[in-house]
Amino acid sequence: MADSVNCREASRLLSLAHERRLDAGELEALQLHLDKCLMCRNFDSQLKFLQRASEKFRTGD
Amino acid sequence: MPTLPPANARFAEIEGHRPYLLRYALAQLRDGQLAEEAVQEALVAALESIGSFGGKSSLRTWLTSILRFKVIDLQRRAVSERANVVLDEESESGEEGWLDELFDSTGHWREAPQTWSNPEAALEQRRFWEAFERCLGRLPAAGSRVFFKREVLGEETEAICKDEGITASNCWVILHRSRIALRACLEKNWFGKEVVRGG
Repeated sequence: MADSVNCREASRLLSLAHERRLDAGELEALQLHLDKCLMCRNFDSQLKFLQRASEKFRTGD
Repeated sequence: MPTLPPANARFAEIEGHRPYLLRYALAQLRDGQLAEEAVQEALVAALESIGSFGGKSSLRTWLTSILRFKVIDLQRRAVSERANVVLDEESESGEEGWLDELFDSTGHWREAPQTWSNPEAALEQRRFWEAFERCLGRLPAAGSRVFFKREVLGEETEAICKDEGITASNCWVILHRSRIALRACLEKNWFGKEVVRGG
């Protein structure tokens, strides 16, 4: 059972997931946190949105 | 005296968009000389291929899409020339410091990320893209460069770190910081205006 993490660490992992695959321990800790934290779920959605927006920015309208 | 031949009229019409295009390029490149260069190259390319402009989008949109590629091109070139500049002071001057501004001592968000209403719809709005560009423009130079390569150009993180001559963890910090800054900027300047906070 992984230790749960706080928002500061969860947000770091969420961003890191855009650079490399998270390992099982990181994923579990992150999931435990996300299950109970709307703020970090919002942050997660926003990072994914930034990625889509950036891609669209490149390809044009 | 005949009226202006179509080519000259087109030329004048295209030239009329130059100030707008320059502002666009300047926001992206933040370098007056590079911006001029990008716009000049875009206008030349536009004049050469004006025949392919079908009028489905506005002339300005068409010109902007050409400019976008010139800007990306110049950014690539500038990036390889300017690599390493500023990176150290920005990335190594206390990773913890900027995080302390965002999170309290127990690691909670000081300002909670909101639920954005219908972000997909924003992608269809011209004014959203203006806000997006302004927010990109406000990132620190290294952050903006690394983020641009990673998310806009879609380059691999490993290759970016190598180009920039920095360690992977440094690179991740820069990207993390840029994403946090961008999302905060968009929330403040775009989504915040629409969001109604739940209790």
